[in-house]
Amino acid sequence: MIYTMVFPILFPIIAGFFLLVMKEPENRKILTGMTGAALLISGGSIVYALLSVEGEAVILFHLTSALPIYLKPDKLGLLFAAVMTIVWVLAGFFSFSYMKPRHEEPRYSGREKGEKRFYGFYLMVFGILTGLNFAGNLITFYLFYELMTLLSMPLVIHTRSREAVMAALKYLFYSFSGAYMVLFGLYFLYRFGNTLTFTAGGVLDKNMVAGNESLLLVTAFFMIIGFGVKAGMFPLHAWLPTAHPVAPAPASALLSAVIVKGGVLGMIRVVYYMFGADFLRGTWVQKAWLTLTLVTVFMGSMLAYREKVLKKRLAYSTVSQVSYILFGLALLEPAALEGGILHVVFHAFIKCALFLIAGAVIHKTGRERADELTGIGKEMPVTMWCFVFLSLALTGIPPTSGFISKWYFILGALHSETGIFSWLGPVVLLVSALLTAGYLLPIAIKGFFPGEDYKYQDIEYHDIEYHDISYQDILYSEKSAGNGKKKFLAEEIPIVILTVLAVGLGIWPNPLIEYISGIVSFIL
Amino acid sequence: MPGQMSFVQNFPCFSIILCMFIGIISSAFKEKIARWLNIIALVVNIVLSAAVLLYTVRTGESYVYVMGRFPAPWGNELRVGMLETGLALFFCVIMLFCLLGGRHKLVQEVEEGKQGLYYVLADLMLSSLLALIYTNDLFTAYVFVEINTISACGLIMIRQNGRTIEAAVRYMIMSLLGSGLFLVGICMLYDLTGHLLMSNIKIEIARIVAEGAYRPPLLVTIAIISVGLAIKSALFPFHAWLPDAYGYSTVSSAAILSSLVSKGYIFLLFKIIYRVIGFEVFHDSKIVDILFLFGLMGMVFGSLSAIKENDIRRMIAFSSVAQVGYIYMGIGMGTQAGMVASVFHVVSHVATKSLLFISAIGLTDVSGGSRKFIELTGSGYRNKCAGVAFSVGSLSMVGVPMFSGFVSKLLFSQAAVQNDGKMLPTLIVLGISTILNAIYFMKTVIRIYTPVEEGEYPTVEWWSNKIYASVLLCFVVLNILLGVCSQPIVDLIESGLNIFA
Repeated sequence: MIYTMVFPILFPIIAGFFLLVMKEPENRKILTGMTGAALLISGGSIVYALLSVEGEAVILFHLTSALPIYLKPDKLGLLFAAVMTIVWVLAGFFSFSYMKPRHEEPRYSGREKGEKRFYGFYLMVFGILTGLNFAGNLITFYLFYELMTLLSMPLVIHTRSREAVMAALKYLFYSFSGAYMVLFGLYFLYRFGNTLTFTAGGVLDKNMVAGNESLLLVTAFFMIIGFGVKAGMFPLHAWLPTAHPVAPAPASALLSAVIVKGGVLGMIRVVYYMFGADFLRGTWVQKAWLTLTLVTVFMGSMLAYREKVLKKRLAYSTVSQVSYILFGLALLEPAALEGGILHVVFHAFIKCALFLIAGAVIHKTGRERADELTGIGKEMPVTMWCFVFLSLALTGIPPTSGFISKWYFILGALHSETGIFSWLGPVVLLVSALLTAGYLLPIAIKGFFPGEDYKYQDIEYHDIEYHDISYQDILYSEKSAGNGKKKFLAEEIPIVILTVLAVGLGIWPNPLIEYISGIVSFIL
Repeated sequence: MPGQMSFVQNFPCFSIILCMFIGIISSAFKEKIARWLNIIALVVNIVLSAAVLLYTVRTGESYVYVMGRFPAPWGNELRVGMLETGLALFFCVIMLFCLLGGRHKLVQEVEEGKQGLYYVLADLMLSSLLALIYTNDLFTAYVFVEINTISACGLIMIRQNGRTIEAAVRYMIMSLLGSGLFLVGICMLYDLTGHLLMSNIKIEIARIVAEGAYRPPLLVTIAIISVGLAIKSALFPFHAWLPDAYGYSTVSSAAILSSLVSKGYIFLLFKIIYRVIGFEVFHDSKIVDILFLFGLMGMVFGSLSAIKENDIRRMIAFSSVAQVGYIYMGIGMGTQAGMVASVFHVVSHVATKSLLFISAIGLTDVSGGSRKFIELTGSGYRNKCAGVAFSVGSLSMVGVPMFSGFVSKLLFSQAAVQNDGKMLPTLIVLGISTILNAIYFMKTVIRIYTPVEEGEYPTVEWWSNKIYASVLLCFVVLNILLGVCSQPIVDLIESGLNIFA
């Protein structure tokens, strides 16, 4: 059993490490082939693990005698692992096309070297994330959480421009601050708890806690803020809109769709498995947490609405959407928690697909700003149709998936006894939904209906100057049309699959809902 | 009882004398022989210390070795337990690595004919360190403190340029001030108690404290000794000598000075706390709180100075100020757990700091010898081995799990949550310091992995300098070992501290 659990963690890490130290292969296909194979093997091993390891536990080694590094995948961890695997493999295949250098010109030769490094870290983070999902106690979780920050940093920094370096540093400092707040809480849990193993309902020792409630509440608040850094929660969200967009599109997709969920998982673990929902219900911590999430929801949507660059807009949208999830968690109420976990799944698919679309558009046309996408529907019809569906799903229009999670949020909020929040929450969510529609749908509308004055040819030349790509470059890709077509097909397939998942899960959500109800009834 | 004494018990005394003699003999030989003698001395010491460590772990208690069989209170004594032998073993290993790792630079930087002298100084340094670790006599400690100072000055100055001479003079002045204070402290203790052997002083002090007599002089003595040793180990407000001394000397010296020399004094302080003053008495004096405060300030201001620094060697040097601050913070908590954490941090910092110094030299070598950050851009690609090692050292300093730095932070925090009064300041400053560490170390790591146009500086293969590469490998393995299976070491430290007093 130990191998079933350890293999999906170690294999991608070793494969990634091998890619990093390996000599540059002469043919790019060898590189993508190896990465693809490694992705598929890891994905397969996770699927195998999903089917067989639930409830198993294994101690890898002891950090100190009281702190074992311990894997124990439960239903929640397995769900996260499944979602992350789907997203990771699909975005990986997207990146093979996206990262392809356009020419064999010398000035692009440096890019290939970066490509190997990109895949190397890409695989390593995959392994780390599996470890994060399988972690059975807080110290193991923390270990993988730190490693996740460190190893995903090279993905942010990939282009090595000054902007990217500054963004990566910002990412690191915010993350380290957050991680330290978590560690700060860990020390207290270590003292006041029976164990650091995740236990549904909490681990606090009643006798020890007596008299120290306020201290522990402060600790809980720190841990929530600490994990909130990764999840982009106000007030420590500022790294997210800086760091996500500077990464290459597949990496920003993963950062936004998956890495932020590491923070969400951390909050679920801490609140529901370490402190216990009962300990926090009705306290100032819950109220403060709810306030912060609602502020973030509104602020994120508002900033996304005002933002012009598409990838940045999507990053702000992540800020807002992940706080929907956190709002669900903060209500400490079964239906809302169920909505939160559902939204983890849905948002992962939707946001990943949206970022991939942004990447595909940049890759094909070089356009980055939302207002430049006028008329794009004719150039990239499949991609833009997906964009339409995804926008609807993120806004939460039935029968797409986003509607279901929001339904549960609002249901949970109305049932919860949180005073003002039980009605203020739904109001903010609805306003934010309007804003979501406001920042996504116009792109789709303008894309398909550019207006009668619009001339499709004009924009082409405008872009060429704007992005300093020589006209020959474009000609070249036009000429090799056969090659070009295949390339964009390779980018479309992952997007289409993710869109189908995002919409399909809204139409047939029952198996997923039942699975999550199982988790929720177990921990609440 | 002399008749029942095991032969192994002689080893600590042997190793001190062996180093002294090898140092003296080497001065008559050529460089190459001196180098080999030095290596032999270190290896023999490693073997001897390992044997004593095994012996003490098996018996589970410490023993007193009476030099020349003159009984206390007149004779001179060594006292040997697990903690002492463990540290002696560790220091010898690290010293060997430092000397091997910096050897190629030594050949370049020190003029022909003086390299032999370097090994003489290193032998003397080692013998004084061992003596500081083992001795049970305050005056012997003082003598070896002076030997240590002189050999340290030599190690700094042997690379002849203006900065090192200035640094050595500065070091000399500050250090002499420190040892002067220490000497005054010893005199006052002698005055108060009439003894120089540590165990006897402790008995007398316990009596004095119980009687309530001589309170002010005792307090002053504790303060003077603490400050004296704090100056020598570069605790925050007394650290002005440090950046130049570590920053400009040849790399082996910098590594030895930062990792071993300051730790020798810190160990002496541990010893004085436990064996001379008594833990309880020391704890009751307010000096603990002052050390705690200075430690916290060092953690923050050391890191701030490191952030401002534009020179990689000086940056690492300033980081030492912060790390020494951690150690004093642990002492200042005034609990057993804090002490354990401090001792572990001594071990962890020794392993990490020497790694950083040695790997930094590989990076500056492939950047035209410049230590400015701008020149170091991309050096991680030019010397991959040093780049990886430097990154590991940085991660350990920042306190990422799996590396030694994380375990010491964990121990400090566990000590802090058991200490209600000092809990919050400790945890908050630990947090600030973690983030500051992350700022300057991660900045450097990103800098050395930022690609530049090729061809400006030479690229070095992984194994081009085999000794250097294997030393770095050993350091990296050591750091990860300390981070992953720290429990046996923590256990050893705990049991060592239990029988330390």
